[in-house]
Amino acid sequence: MTHVEQRTEETRLPRFKPATDIIETESGFVIYLDMPGVAKDDLVIDLNEDEIKISGKTSYPAPAEEKLGHVEFGNGEYSRAFTLSQIVDKDKIKATLKNGVLELTLPKAEKAVPRKIEIRSE
Amino acid sequence: MVIDLSPLYNFPSQFDRLFEGMWSPFLISQRSLAYPPLNLSETDDRIYARLEIPGLEIGEIDLTLTDASLVIKGERKPIKGKYYRQERPTGHFQRVINLHAPISRDAVTARMRDGLLEIVIPKAEESKPKKISIKAS
Repeated sequence: MTHVEQRTEETRLPRFKPATDIIETESGFVIYLDMPGVAKDDLVIDLNEDEIKISGKTSYPAPAEEKLGHVEFGNGEYSRAFTLSQIVDKDKIKATLKNGVLELTLPKAEKAVPRKIEIRSE
Repeated sequence: MVIDLSPLYNFPSQFDRLFEGMWSPFLISQRSLAYPPLNLSETDDRIYARLEIPGLEIGEIDLTLTDASLVIKGERKPIKGKYYRQERPTGHFQRVINLHAPISRDAVTARMRDGLLEIVIPKAEESKPKKISIKAS
């Protein structure tokens, strides 16, 4: 029985955690994920309470007539989840996919943006 | 007396797995530290080179073709800011592909799609396999 289970496991696409940069800016956070090979339609972003989950499949066509010479990458599935901080304004999250890099902009909620307090002298 | 042999019970299946794993394209060849990852394949009249270079425009990649090699160069520029986490590689990269067949240099094409760079190198006429028919007289 264990053998059967292993087989099914192997036929599934390999899963990767995409390489990620998280940068804080004054107005919020920006997350960059390297997801080469993922088309816009194959990308899924789920926001569930405080968790944002990003997943996507690559769709490299199988080279039918080509003879493979050297292989370092193949089709796979990217998946990664992040827990959002309370200060992120969840309604204003923006996502852009360009050249295989997903850019998630997570703006801070109004009250969390640092503000200078002016002191007035009387 | 109890002899615990449990780590050994799984031994054959783990062994099988090791061998099976070797046949998956991920482990079969050099999934090396070289960046960017490269796939090479060929047909009778073309060589295909595919590289995963996310985040770069095609104009930012420098392709140099010499007689025997194709050099792919570029730079992944770091983003300025306060990093909480940095996993994406930055900096200059270069990969050299040695070409073992004569190619027609003027017909090489490259295109970028979703972070995948595909270079199509047509082989020169003389390197294509030819059928020679022998007539028996």
